[in-house]
Amino acid sequence: MKRSWFAYPYSLWMVIFTIAPMIFVVYFALTDTSGALSLSNMAAVGQETYLKILWRSLYLALICTVICLLLGYPAAYFLASKDFNKNQTLFVLILLPMWMNFLLRTYAMMSLMENQGIINTLLKAMGLEPVRMIGTEGAVLVGMVYNFLPFMVLPVHTSLKKMDQRVIEAAEDLGANPAQVFRRVTLPLSMPGVISGVTMVFMPAVTTFAISRLLGSGNFMMFGDLIDKQFLELNNWHFGSSLSLIMMALIIISISLLNKADPKGEGSAI
Amino acid sequence: MIEDTHLIELKGVSRTFGTTQALKDINLYIRKREFVTLLGPSGCGKTTMLRIIGGFEYADEGQVLFEGKDIANVPPYKRRINTVFQKYALFTHLNVYDNIAFGLTLKKMPKDEIARRVGRMLRLVKMEGYEKRGVDSLSGGQQQRIAIARALVNEPEVLLLDEPLGALDLKLRREMQLELKSMQQQLGITFIYVTHDQEEALTMSDTVVVMNHGCIQQIGDPKRIYDEPKNAFVADFIGESNIISGVMIRDELCEMFGQEFPCVDEGFAPNEPVDIVVRPEDVMVVGEDVGQLTGEVASVIFKGVHYEMMIRTEAFAWKVHSTTMQPVGTRVGLTIVPFNIHIMHKAGGQ
Amino acid sequence: MRKTLRGVYLGLILFFLYSPIAVMIVLSFNASRSRAKWGGFTFDWYVRLTQRSDILQALWVTLTVAVIATVLATIIGTGAAIGIQAMKKRPASLILKVSYLPMTMPDIVTGVSLMLMFVFVNVPLGYWTMVMAHITFDTPYVLFSVLPKLRQTDSNLYEAALDLGCTPMQAVRKVILPEIMPGVITGALLSFTMSLDDFIISYFTSYTDKNLSMVIYSAARKGIEPSIYALSTIMFLVVLALLIVINKRGALENVS
Repeated sequence: MKRSWFAYPYSLWMVIFTIAPMIFVVYFALTDTSGALSLSNMAAVGQETYLKILWRSLYLALICTVICLLLGYPAAYFLASKDFNKNQTLFVLILLPMWMNFLLRTYAMMSLMENQGIINTLLKAMGLEPVRMIGTEGAVLVGMVYNFLPFMVLPVHTSLKKMDQRVIEAAEDLGANPAQVFRRVTLPLSMPGVISGVTMVFMPAVTTFAISRLLGSGNFMMFGDLIDKQFLELNNWHFGSSLSLIMMALIIISISLLNKADPKGEGSAI
Repeated sequence: MIEDTHLIELKGVSRTFGTTQALKDINLYIRKREFVTLLGPSGCGKTTMLRIIGGFEYADEGQVLFEGKDIANVPPYKRRINTVFQKYALFTHLNVYDNIAFGLTLKKMPKDEIARRVGRMLRLVKMEGYEKRGVDSLSGGQQQRIAIARALVNEPEVLLLDEPLGALDLKLRREMQLELKSMQQQLGITFIYVTHDQEEALTMSDTVVVMNHGCIQQIGDPKRIYDEPKNAFVADFIGESNIISGVMIRDELCEMFGQEFPCVDEGFAPNEPVDIVVRPEDVMVVGEDVGQLTGEVASVIFKGVHYEMMIRTEAFAWKVHSTTMQPVGTRVGLTIVPFNIHIMHKAGGQ
Repeated sequence: MRKTLRGVYLGLILFFLYSPIAVMIVLSFNASRSRAKWGGFTFDWYVRLTQRSDILQALWVTLTVAVIATVLATIIGTGAAIGIQAMKKRPASLILKVSYLPMTMPDIVTGVSLMLMFVFVNVPLGYWTMVMAHITFDTPYVLFSVLPKLRQTDSNLYEAALDLGCTPMQAVRKVILPEIMPGVITGALLSFTMSLDDFIISYFTSYTDKNLSMVIYSAARKGIEPSIYALSTIMFLVVLALLIVINKRGALENVS
């Protein structure tokens, strides 16, 4: 009886339920319906329609990430600053939506942005023209930012909080004004958190699925929707697997790039 | 009194981790009621040796005998040996009483008997009244006492102590050294003690085992180890030393810096290159004209009892301890009496 | 002044995050079916919720899947952490790397890959495939909650227990487990929350049995009925309560 044996059930579970399924994805991606080895499905991903969807997913995810960073960094910075760092409730309040079902959040967004929704009713009440929001790219983007913003705030806040306050005092002592302290000390030291935040927003944003369908009224198919469609509507598993494989590859490449930027994994949120 | 039976015996014990050999062919016996200290710098193999005796580590080669029987296949929980771990390893989910009672409870001892023994232990380590306290709320010194009580309550044949005083401040450490020594004499248990602190080793032990790079360098009682270090490593590690590379011209005559010095050692090959060791307190500062060597005082530090001076001669900077101070820049003479010159074989050629 | 400006900024962020939720809660008590008009206060939608057998069924599925998956994930994950802690560096880091996979892979890929495997080996997609999928993504959360706790404990604890007479099994049960209990509970709460909340992976791995998220998804596509607001409000409050418990335990900081 060795202590390391306690990890065996888990190892076995991971082999069956994590590694084996990945192998199935690879297998289906590289075969055709007859089961023969074929690259045709992989090649099909290169068609213009699909590349357009991939491009749109990447583009929307990127914009979403930038907006989350611009909105989230100051929020995290203020929360970690002397003004608010005693206020634990405020911090929990910002994170709370992160733990709420994303469908519910999206659903709530829908009720705000619908044509007959709250915002338009308010606009009308103020004598303004109602705006068509639902079904636009903007609505999808707002929904994504709304969903993923807390995932940016958390890691940035963690890295700022971990920072030794004496470092800032040292910088002040050496003659840096507040702007210089921020640019030359605080910002570089919080980079691991930023990188982790970018990962936590960008990754799920690229593969987001359902948000685009609910808020975009199906006008803006994204990569996640495309995969879903292949499996559950068109029953084209081989092509669906090819798309998933591309997604896996993209994620692995991005993660290893980000790992290079943060080799010690200091900002990792989990 | 130490009995002359070999309680524990290590025969040709070796242990390798990956590419580093932690222990090389160790031969050692430990007698009943002996206080043995394994002394050496970190990474010398002393902790590995202790863990092999405790049963937490195994030997690749060689045998570990307990009362003459090989105990390689006896798991730690069946050995009549208990351990005081480096950072105490107290169970933070249990209070002081339950920590100490832990081993006895496992043996399904009656409750009143447990209470009696735990009470006795608490008295022994002077921690009465702390029964219900959580171990996290105790100071380092108090945790240390509980760890000792938790091990001793099981009445082991041997107590292993792995740098148990390392986390305590100097004053407390000195106190605990004396207490541990008196506990050991009072209980008549064999103690095997691991430390890198030479002063601690010399204060407490009946026998000191000096180790380096997985090898035993010297075994002996504290006085012998200090006065007659077997090689330059021991001399340097135990106390401070001036170590000079020299030549043994013939019996009772050595040469350093091209100058001959009478000494008392014998039995070296003619003109054998040797290490010559002189303790700082054995270098006498005399007038410039009467010394065997002459030099200039380069620095002086007051150390409380004595002054530590660096005295620079033509070829060597001597570390000298003296109760009288010479100002920096003074030219002085140095003399070493033959008895205080220790000659050692060069390292590697034992 | 600076503090006020910062407070206003944080207030705006909170407004952005909470106004949809607040609207949803208000609408769940709105007697009017319209989303834009207040028709008076009512509990009707909550009552109607109790009459929707599909939702009650989904609630049952959600809760039982979460409980079963949490219990099993906690056992497997805690064992894994204890085992990994005792392993040599290389196998340990290999297992940890594989454990990151389900956490970093997009849910859709995890869901699709599990679905492919279940279908390929002819396991019908239903309740038990959902349970297995949930155990798979829950276990790493338990592992990563327990592991730091284990690393905090004295590395000699296990040996101290053996030294005092425990067999290896006793040492784990009587010493290691009580010492890491806070981490185990945190991990269990986390995985329970993850299970309650999951949509994508359940959506791909179960066909016959639907959990609440799946019901909400199909309802949202069909058009909004206020009883879904009522359901959302309840779920929001449950998650809120769970999080308050977890946060009281200081778990948010441990995980982040």
